Amino acid sequence: MRPRDLSALIFSNLRRMKLRLALTSMGVVIGTTSIVLMVSLGIGLQRNIEQELGGMGPATHVTVMPAFTPGSMEMPTLDSQAISEIEEVTNVEAVMGQVWVETMGRAEFQRRDVHLSAMGVPMDKFEQFGYVVERGRLPRNENEIVLGARMPSMIADEGGFREDLTEDLLGGRLNVTFFEPVTEGAGGRPDEAELDLPAETTRRLTVVGILAPADMQVDSTAFVTIDAALEFNGVRSNRIAFPNVIAMADSPANVAAVEEELRALGYETFSASSLQEGMRVTFLIIQGVLGALGGISMLVAALGIANTMTMSIFERTREIGIMKAVGASGNQIKKVFLGEAAAIGLLGGTVGLLFSISTAAVANLVVQGLIATEAVGQQAGAAAVGTATQTAFFIIPVWLGVFALVFAAGVGLLAGILPAMRAANLDPLIALRHE
Amino acid sequence: MDCVTEVIDLKKQYIMGGQPLEVLRGVSLAVEPGEVVCVMGPSGSGKSTLLNIIGGLDRPSAGTVLAQGEDLAQMDDERLADYRRHKIGFVFQSFNLVPSMTARQNVELPLTFAGVPAEERAQRAAAALESTGLGHRIEHRPTELSGGEQQRVAIARAVINEPTLMLADEPTGNLDSATGREILGLIRQMNEDGRTFMISTHDRGVAESIAHRIIHIVDGMIAEVEIGGAS
Ligand SMILES: Nc1ncnc2c1ncn2[C@@H]1O[C@H](COP(=O)(O)OP(=O)(O)OP(=O)(O)O)[C@@H](O)[C@H]1O
Ligand SMILES: [Mg+2]
Repeated sequence: MRPRDLSALIFSNLRRMKLRLALTSMGVVIGTTSIVLMVSLGIGLQRNIEQELGGMGPATHVTVMPAFTPGSMEMPTLDSQAISEIEEVTNVEAVMGQVWVETMGRAEFQRRDVHLSAMGVPMDKFEQFGYVVERGRLPRNENEIVLGARMPSMIADEGGFREDLTEDLLGGRLNVTFFEPVTEGAGGRPDEAELDLPAETTRRLTVVGILAPADMQVDSTAFVTIDAALEFNGVRSNRIAFPNVIAMADSPANVAAVEEELRALGYETFSASSLQEGMRVTFLIIQGVLGALGGISMLVAALGIANTMTMSIFERTREIGIMKAVGASGNQIKKVFLGEAAAIGLLGGTVGLLFSISTAAVANLVVQGLIATEAVGQQAGAAAVGTATQTAFFIIPVWLGVFALVFAAGVGLLAGILPAMRAANLDPLIALRHE
Repeated sequence: MDCVTEVIDLKKQYIMGGQPLEVLRGVSLAVEPGEVVCVMGPSGSGKSTLLNIIGGLDRPSAGTVLAQGEDLAQMDDERLADYRRHKIGFVFQSFNLVPSMTARQNVELPLTFAGVPAEERAQRAAAALESTGLGHRIEHRPTELSGGEQQRVAIARAVINEPTLMLADEPTGNLDSATGREILGLIRQMNEDGRTFMISTHDRGVAESIAHRIIHIVDGMIAEVEIGGAS
């Protein structure tokens, strides 16, 4: 029997049972839709998390924080002794303390107000941590500043400049306003300090360099020397205390081990890799659960197909007898019914896939719309809207589509095996006597 | 000349409620090419059983069926299907057409299962239907045809593969006598063109008008062989 004749026979048989076909494949439609949507939601969520985590720094970096002592009111900090201890940990290549400049009010470039957040880092270690200076150099004294890769365009946007500012910024001056730091114990009465507007000082900083793109946070931050940051923050002490430091592992594979050892030493740690690993496991579980739910609906659909095939084989018993009498072999009969069962599965799978694709598209639009409205409401601005429109919560890659079709047809085929074998093994004489 | 089919000491028994029911109790016969052999006997004497075993639809309990010298017992189910498809043409009392298929599609069926290309199939089916006098009803479905017309479709389907043996089990049993005579005329004409027939009937008139040989079966055994009117 030729494949073309086989499919023509299958097709004409299915056309004779349109209603039953529609009802039976409905189960596969629902099963396929739930599996595809569930898996695609898992893929979408995982990709979103990964994108977000990608902004948190290289895979080898571990943020180390001092452990909180319960009952203590003091913010614990890390001193140089702690840094030496962390440097000694196996697989740690370098340790870098960093200090946020907390007192920065605003900055001014070419008489336009721009936003700036700055951090003090040890410049001798900065490049060792994988950050590259693309233009110019790193700061050498308190009056110099280096900008993250996205800063020129951020300053241009905010200040309303139309041209590219990179060249103007290099060697240019930023007038930065600082609030006088409120040092504890100074002024005596807190309620008095609250009433006073904090005093301001202005510093002129020279932009000496621009960094190559790294991660999202570094790209939108400016960096000064540690001494500068401490000075801006009003710390007049030789004992440097960091709220946290960054340790760099020699390879991403060793991050977990480094974190473990640091925790054993009593530190809190945090890293993009370990967070990602945790997320990955969580999503694997979520996807597994979702997939299992879809699997159950497919199982029910398979029972439906098996039932329909059994019924239609019973109704066509005499026809099977006739075909055997005129020379159809058991194998040929089996192929016809297996083909019908697989076709029911494939039909349901196709409809289910189309249904999932359109549902996913609509759901993505709705969710993106919600995020965009919320973002505008919170004045988070164009950047947030931009990310929201790129965010897809249901992602259906080609492999998932192909898998859905093959899976649906396969479920149909499996469901058809027993009924088809029964049809193939029918005694032709008994079948011919069937009314 | 080699015979078309040779049956040697054929036995068939069914176990019914623990009791063996002997339907065929040692039947031996040979069918020569170009012959029309009629099998007669009372109802339940085993006529259909004999034809079905010769046609490879059923297997005997004992004995041998040689089709052009080949032992059917040696064939597995697939080979037996192949034998039915190429060597045998079945015609039944109740026509046994597939109701959802047109006359042409019904006639094409044995060729379809034999893997003959569609174009050749259509051509041969049209010719076969033409030869049974139904050339103008090719695209009609069984429900749109009379009993006699349906039997002509069934006969066209049986000859489409140019079988060595046509097996007709009471081919006129469901037809009125005038239509029955037309069908017998068609069979006689095909026999004149060289086709070999084995026909079961309980109608003496049918047997005498068409058979070269009439075999009487009584109680599962051949009781008598007569020379028919056609020889
Ligand atoms: N599958 C079966 N199981 C049990 N007994 C059977 C079976 N098939 C046939 N028989 C019995 O075998 C006997 C012969 O049946 P068969 O159909 O060959 O008779 P027949 O000569 O063709 O009769 P009729 O003229 O009524 O068609 C009958 O008694 C029948 O009941
Ligand atoms: Mg009979």
